Amino acid sequence: MANLKEIRNRISSVSSTMQITSAMKMVSAAKLKKAQDAITAMRPYSNKLTELLQDLSATLDADSGSKYAEQRPINKVLLVAITSNRGLCGAFNSNIIKQVGHLMNDTYKGKSVSVLAIGKKANDAFSKSNLVVANESDVFDDLTFENVERVANAIMTMFEEGEYDRVDIVYNSFKNAATQIVMTEQFLPIKPIEGDANNNLDYIFEPSKLEIVETLIPKSLKTQLFKSVRDSFASEHGARMTAMHKATDNATELRDQLKLTYNKARQAAITNEILEIVGGAEALNS
Amino acid sequence: MYLEIVSPEATLFSSEVDSVVVPGVKGEFEMLNNHAPIVSTLKEGTVRIKVHTQTHIVYDELHSDIEPHFEDQKVLTLNIKSGTVESKDNKVIVLAD
Repeated sequence: MANLKEIRNRISSVSSTMQITSAMKMVSAAKLKKAQDAITAMRPYSNKLTELLQDLSATLDADSGSKYAEQRPINKVLLVAITSNRGLCGAFNSNIIKQVGHLMNDTYKGKSVSVLAIGKKANDAFSKSNLVVANESDVFDDLTFENVERVANAIMTMFEEGEYDRVDIVYNSFKNAATQIVMTEQFLPIKPIEGDANNNLDYIFEPSKLEIVETLIPKSLKTQLFKSVRDSFASEHGARMTAMHKATDNATELRDQLKLTYNKARQAAITNEILEIVGGAEALNS
Repeated sequence: MYLEIVSPEATLFSSEVDSVVVPGVKGEFEMLNNHAPIVSTLKEGTVRIKVHTQTHIVYDELHSDIEPHFEDQKVLTLNIKSGTVESKDNKVIVLAD
């Protein structure tokens, strides 16, 4: 039977861990709410932008000659891995790292693959093998469109200059607080936009249809990256909330078990003492 | 006509208005009711919204980027860096960033 003091120490350490995990859960729940609102807030913009692009490209020739649509033989690939800056969020980061590894070893086997890390965890995982070309983890410090736009511009310039022939984004897409889906999205070259040919309003275009499409395409790319980062941010808090909830549950279970063992040990000690006294008294009487 | 101004971060404005002036790349222009369908890119400048005279504006509920004009409280202004405007069927959408 374990010693009483030892069990008491363990109970108090489990209880204090439980307090920490439940506090972290609360914090994540609050941040998740904010992050979710942010996703909802940007939805009108991205929907309108896609709608507009569809309206326009329906009446435009299939090949608008955009520099971002250029299909080149794939030799150099850039993977944008979006993870979190902090751990303690379950399989959130390792799922991304696994998926990037899978892409490197299977899909893009034999090609030169580089990683652009958004999030410290991705940087930590890939910097050892010298794959990281840029670490943009600080966008999470201040998650605004301007900051993400800067990263998107850098990626677009690299693609334009032929440094990379293909860019993919790997991120956790937000389904609900408990579920994140690892997504791999093609970023560049852009996929041909499928237009809705029925929608042929007689628009006035200023300056010209082609020029409008060409200003809209970079915008939609930036919005796509911004959406991915925001999704990942909300997913991170969802994942952390679930992980911490489970940790709290486990700690409760462990504490209950320990309490039971403690009480058993205490009772056994008392029984022992009584036995000794009774035994002593018996010896005196006889 | 109905005007909606959206940015990547939020919906800035959404209401029935009399007219709106936007800074088009080829020059500023105004859109009134029943404007022909138009799509235009915008350059840096000010969007000026003229709200219905009878509409009561709740200034506290406006997005912080939108400010009433100093001369006329029924005119609201918003500074943008660039953007796109689309108008069809009396509905104007400004994508501002």
